[in-house]
Amino acid sequence: MANRYELNDSSVVVVIGSGAGGGTVANELAQKGIDVVCLEAGSRMTLADIVNNPGIMNAKMGWLDKRIGAPTWLCKTVGGTTVRWSGITPRFQEHEFKPLSTYGKLDNTTLIDWPITLDELAPYYDRAEDRMGVSGTHSIPPSAETNEFKVLKAGGKKVGYKEITSTRAAINPVARDGRPGCRQIGFCWSGCAIGAKWSTLYSEIPKAEATGHFELRTKAMVVMIDHDDSGKVTGVVYVDESGDTHEQKARVVCVAGNVVETTRLLHNSASSMFPDGLANSSGQLGRNYMRHATTSTTAIMPGPVNFHRGTRQSGLIFDEQYHKPERGFAGGYLIETSAGDPFGIAQSVGGWGESTAEYLENYTNLAATWVTGEDPPQASNKITFHDTERDQYGLPVPVLNYEFHPNSEAMYAHAAMTSKKLLESLGGRNVTSVKGGGGGCHNMGVARMSANPRDGVTNRWGQSHDIANLFVSDGSVFASSAAANPTLTIVALAIRQADHIAERMSRKEL
Amino acid sequence: MNKGETSRRRFLVATIAYSGLISTGMGAALLRASTAWAQSGNGNADELTRIARLLYPHDGIADAVYVEVIDSILSDSVNDVSLKEILNQAVTALNAAQNGNWFEIGADDQIKAMRVVQNEPFFAAIQGGVRVRFYNHPKVWEHIGYPGSSVEFGGYADRGFDDIDWLPEDA
Repeated sequence: MANRYELNDSSVVVVIGSGAGGGTVANELAQKGIDVVCLEAGSRMTLADIVNNPGIMNAKMGWLDKRIGAPTWLCKTVGGTTVRWSGITPRFQEHEFKPLSTYGKLDNTTLIDWPITLDELAPYYDRAEDRMGVSGTHSIPPSAETNEFKVLKAGGKKVGYKEITSTRAAINPVARDGRPGCRQIGFCWSGCAIGAKWSTLYSEIPKAEATGHFELRTKAMVVMIDHDDSGKVTGVVYVDESGDTHEQKARVVCVAGNVVETTRLLHNSASSMFPDGLANSSGQLGRNYMRHATTSTTAIMPGPVNFHRGTRQSGLIFDEQYHKPERGFAGGYLIETSAGDPFGIAQSVGGWGESTAEYLENYTNLAATWVTGEDPPQASNKITFHDTERDQYGLPVPVLNYEFHPNSEAMYAHAAMTSKKLLESLGGRNVTSVKGGGGGCHNMGVARMSANPRDGVTNRWGQSHDIANLFVSDGSVFASSAAANPTLTIVALAIRQADHIAERMSRKEL
Repeated sequence: MNKGETSRRRFLVATIAYSGLISTGMGAALLRASTAWAQSGNGNADELTRIARLLYPHDGIADAVYVEVIDSILSDSVNDVSLKEILNQAVTALNAAQNGNWFEIGADDQIKAMRVVQNEPFFAAIQGGVRVRFYNHPKVWEHIGYPGSSVEFGGYADRGFDDIDWLPEDA
């Protein structure tokens, strides 16, 4: 039964955002009997609101507020970007928690090691996979092999790859945890109309409500976090649907707005005590912004693939994820499938004229790979704010500064080459790779965890170095990007953080 | 590319994307848009329709579809000065390169002229506007074999999501 809390109830934990990080940390806390108020800027959809139409769904759930610079692909809706995501959930590898020690100093990067190890996170990966229903874990069968996965597998084998799998998707192969099995609808990015794909919208949020320790307020845009003279946060100010401003008092605040909004909120909460924004004594807030080195490669295959039939991303190859410096770059990448609709294909292959039209004429024979690879942090890749432009809330418009690092350029070139080889091994032709294709769906690093408070914004728990009762609960805390799609790690870190907050609260330390 | 033009292009791509704006019921309004365009001395809408076909040339697609796509853009330009300006710039630039007679020359030369201006901001704006309308058009989907929404048919779990039959046996 969903609860209601008073605005002046200062015993609650306030969670800002209801996506992978916020929805998870809120539910985990509520499950432990801790009272949580979750503030979500977007509105709440039901499955009946979800249609197989990316444009209509983007209008319903996309984060469309004005932003300048590198585009992102995020959502303003209950469930956040877990409504739109593909569901691919690989774990990070051991060395990816130690990028500085493993790769050494790379020019023009701000590499650090994570303040935690894979061993420490492994039990939480386990719990996250169980919560999300990841195929191939916890006795869940592998995902069904779609046409496009079969292309990836056949081509992968031809070029000598060994670790090819249709597991590691948080999309139910069979009914589980109150959600049905996948029907291969093919519109994962429009939101799963039957709820087979894990999303906090219909998994964590209703579970939290059922505890009686949770209240979700929708269309509540948080614009500032308040603090007292001792430097502890005391509540958050938000604007509701009618434009009225409220302050919800809080014992602990968890920020999970995805990197752009997380940065903006902490930045906008600057005060005389914290002149550069909350939790920013290091000056690292908004910096070290990472997006993954992504590449999409498309080819016309010799026979029908019909990749629109079935999950948008249906499997992956691990062979290139390792750190093998002889390839000419640090870190590694994952090769995944990626289907597109005609407009998406026209956009991703780019160009115009006969060559572009030929792709679309052969739409039913297309196959594609999508590569996500490690993207090193750079001081110059950062989120800043426009001097004069303001959005509908009167807040400064975010400016996303992002350039590929030479390491990512080298990785991109390698990934384009291996993808081409894979697709050509089966007779694929007209192979086209787009650097950065699909970039902007993975956003990480602007409030990174660091052992040394000078290097980052948060500590090993995602707790801010500067303010004990202020936590960051989304991908902003990533100290490095690793190669893997980030959501599983966001969820694992959020579960771990909730355990930590509950323990500290029980010891009256928070 | 200045900021205004960048945001214009974003508008075209992002907000019109898949919006389903193109429907036969809008025919009358669309017709008015192209007539208004021609009558206000902007040149013939046929030039824009020709640009649309050369951008995404599919022999099996009737001219009517390209006409609909351009009429949809023109209909938006009625109340949108910057969009109208973009369309004007395109026609003017192509004609300027061909002594005012781009529409009359052969396809190869028309394409050559388009290549000359393809890095201009107006070109990207028109290309984005045509692309999103054209490749979301039901007749184009039908032509290339894309069926669109599948949830009402129970997805593809029982309709061929794994029916690929030409992969090598040894793979």
